[in-house]
Amino acid sequence: MALSKEVYREFEDVVGPENISDDPAIMPAYYATDFAAVILPGNTQEVQAVVKLCNKHKLKFRPICTGWTGMFPKGIVLLDLRRMNRIIEINEKNMYAVVEPYVISAELQAELFKRGLNFCIKGAGSNCSALLRGHGHMDQTTSGDDRNHLAIEWVTPEGEIVRSGSLGSIGEWFSGDGPGPSIRAILTSAVPPGVTPGVFTKAAVKLYPWPGPSSFPVVGKSPKYTLSEIPPNMMARYYSFPSVEKMWKAEITIGENEIAYELMGFNAAMVACNITTCNEEEEEVFKKISKEVQGPGFFIIIGGYSAEDFAYKKKVLEKIISDNDGKSLKMVEDPEIEGILLCQCTRISASIRETFRAGGAFNSIPIMGQRDLCIKWAIGAGKAKEPLIKKGLIVDDGGAFFGWGVEQGHLGKTEIFCKYDPSNAEAKKAVEQWQKEQTMRAFKEHYFASTMGNLEEVGPALCNFHLWWRKITKSLDPNGVSPEGGALV
Amino acid sequence: MGLEQYQGDMAMCCRCSACKFIPMQKVQGAKYSYVCPSIARYNFHAYSGGGRLNIANWMLKNGFNYTEKLLDIVKNCQMCGACGVSCNYAMDMEVLEPIQEFRIKTVEDGHTVPALDKVIENLRKNDAMVAGGRTQRGSWAKGLKLKDATTDRVDVYYHVGCLTSFDKNMWKLAQSTARILEKAGVNFGIAGATEICCGGRAYQMGYREDFLNQAKKNMELIKKSGAKTLVTGCADCYQAFKVLYDKYNLKGDLEVLHTTEYFDRLIKEGRLKPSRKVDLSITYHDPCRLGRLGEPWIHWSGKKIPGDRFVFDPPKIYRRGTNGVYEPPREVLNSIPGVKLTEMVRIKEYAWCCGAGGGVSESNPDFALWTARERIDEAVSTGAQAMVTACPWCEKTFNEAIKSSGNNLKVYDVVELLEQAI
Repeated sequence: MALSKEVYREFEDVVGPENISDDPAIMPAYYATDFAAVILPGNTQEVQAVVKLCNKHKLKFRPICTGWTGMFPKGIVLLDLRRMNRIIEINEKNMYAVVEPYVISAELQAELFKRGLNFCIKGAGSNCSALLRGHGHMDQTTSGDDRNHLAIEWVTPEGEIVRSGSLGSIGEWFSGDGPGPSIRAILTSAVPPGVTPGVFTKAAVKLYPWPGPSSFPVVGKSPKYTLSEIPPNMMARYYSFPSVEKMWKAEITIGENEIAYELMGFNAAMVACNITTCNEEEEEVFKKISKEVQGPGFFIIIGGYSAEDFAYKKKVLEKIISDNDGKSLKMVEDPEIEGILLCQCTRISASIRETFRAGGAFNSIPIMGQRDLCIKWAIGAGKAKEPLIKKGLIVDDGGAFFGWGVEQGHLGKTEIFCKYDPSNAEAKKAVEQWQKEQTMRAFKEHYFASTMGNLEEVGPALCNFHLWWRKITKSLDPNGVSPEGGALV
Repeated sequence: MGLEQYQGDMAMCCRCSACKFIPMQKVQGAKYSYVCPSIARYNFHAYSGGGRLNIANWMLKNGFNYTEKLLDIVKNCQMCGACGVSCNYAMDMEVLEPIQEFRIKTVEDGHTVPALDKVIENLRKNDAMVAGGRTQRGSWAKGLKLKDATTDRVDVYYHVGCLTSFDKNMWKLAQSTARILEKAGVNFGIAGATEICCGGRAYQMGYREDFLNQAKKNMELIKKSGAKTLVTGCADCYQAFKVLYDKYNLKGDLEVLHTTEYFDRLIKEGRLKPSRKVDLSITYHDPCRLGRLGEPWIHWSGKKIPGDRFVFDPPKIYRRGTNGVYEPPREVLNSIPGVKLTEMVRIKEYAWCCGAGGGVSESNPDFALWTARERIDEAVSTGAQAMVTACPWCEKTFNEAIKSSGNNLKVYDVVELLEQAI
């Protein structure tokens, strides 16, 4: 569905000829579909002008950033936000940073480390947008989801520029809720299909103290980077437990004592992914670790703000682990392995190893809520994976789930993957079926899974939110030009 | 060989965009985080490593539609391989190889770039990558009384390379190299006017047959010389002789060394003693084809093991840039009294390209200079007085970029500083 020459020229007048293309060669790089055009806006004003033109010509659009997710329907205008890659401000005093969509998390984090600060990097990896909402490895201390977004600049589906919170009243970024218009429920909605329509052009993200070094002393060559030394007052360990109950007890006690910088409930398979440099090595290490762990476990990073603080946290940790019969994985005590895990699991630089490396694809069901309850659901989902593993359709990870604490365990997230070869139609079908069935089970058992899709079934159980959401999106997007949302992808 | 063999690899791309950046652990801030000049300059995802794989894979299934834009995407890539290094930190898949095959297919399908056709025409006529009469190739050595490797018995064959041979500004590199070899007492020779192009740059441009012709002719010449070791100061030549000739089973047991590797060895053996002080603060630029692309070829053939994982029988070992030549040039520089080396952000396996590779300096000189200016900015940020490199193509491109931007950074080859010190 090509644009007419006249319409193309209107877009071209906004962004310049170098930043628009409807050439068929451009399209498959993004997705195997025919876009009306791919446009690279360079700033908020250009986004606004492009969105207004989309409304004028009733053209559907969708923005993307680094872009490893998403569905892209035929005929849409794709807004690639790659040129919007500026860190606008790092406010150390008020502890927030303002970024454009194509600032990747690794860039922002590196700048923050120099200032003794850090922020929540989403589990998708530090190669993704710093603006992305979601959860990640460091949620224990950096929280997650919408709780980290402060003021936001948003181009609505009709092309209005909306500035939320303090930005909308006094031009400051420090708050998303006021003084000024708080539209948090709309801007940060995650309930399907409530991914906010329009385009987020700038956002302030909350910052947190960082006990680690201003930069990690990374040595060696890719793919085997190590640290020349373990940074002072930092430690990483993996503990396994005889039962889920004991692991949970340890997790919650650690949270109550506020001693963990990171608490990532990796399973043995994910530890293996992180510390190995290829698929063959990963299989071998997984087998080795599986023999040593006594049951479910977690990876933990302790970071002290002083030697005394570190010593205290370490001592408390030892007591909690001992009280709950935890066992440290010897491999992670090796400073070479410990060092790289410290770096990777705070710089979030190995997510692709955890997800795509094995077979090229993965499907996931993330469950948000109290960890011990979610784990009960996840054990069932893991058992449901076993026949797929036996048939060789998915990667053998022991049927395990993983998860992590959020805000010192007030909240938590549990997730379960199936990794497979997407070119194997049987595997793909089996994984999709597994995902559908287990998501439905989550819904019936009153858990919240972000993979829940059938709104006619889900909505009535959740105060008919879908009817409200449809009204809101209809009002925001009367021309239906931004149906896919995805503004923070 | 062909694009088809990489279909599985291309399908593995998950569009994570890691190929655009240096490895995430190495990102030190908002500046110097990009590793791919093409995506950094042209912005559309199609210009990234992943984008190129996605296009090639899609067109393999749906037919090749050679639009002007497609040819623009194909030609505006230095083939520097940085995308592959960043991808292969996490993924087991080939990246540069399918991009190379895509380029070869474009040429074989007759969709060439006039500027590159002209270069290849000259190669076919004069056995050279740059303009210049065949008889002028050895002019740089006039008066040096060097041995003729084609007639005299020598241990080391010094292959000078096209740019150093024909560009008078680069003669100094060959002359310095010859004088250093003499000082070390090495029994070496040159081919002078009979030296011919290695073909490496033709390969980068997608002209595989022309590359193979050059490779066969070169190996015949070297065989006749009897030399067991080939030394070159050009990173492109180095990669061609060491890696590409091996890839096509043409190298035999010829030992291929870059001048920096050989001089590092001679220093360690005590045959060269850098003792004179060279008071200079420098930064070192890793040439792509000496660094990440200079790692040995790994011969492998096998089949994917059916099932859930992308694994092969026998296991496939990927070239991830780990074993490139990074330390020898640094060792040589650090052996020179007075030289103070400060590293840039993007170094070794994730170094930023100078801009000259893949035919870009011939087909799109503005893009080559843009890429070089990015590097110069990074070099200047270290506070160094000079940027030192180990390839004439890098030196030439940097000097042109400096000239056009009015910068006063000096550019040297490692051999120039070494000669000053001995």
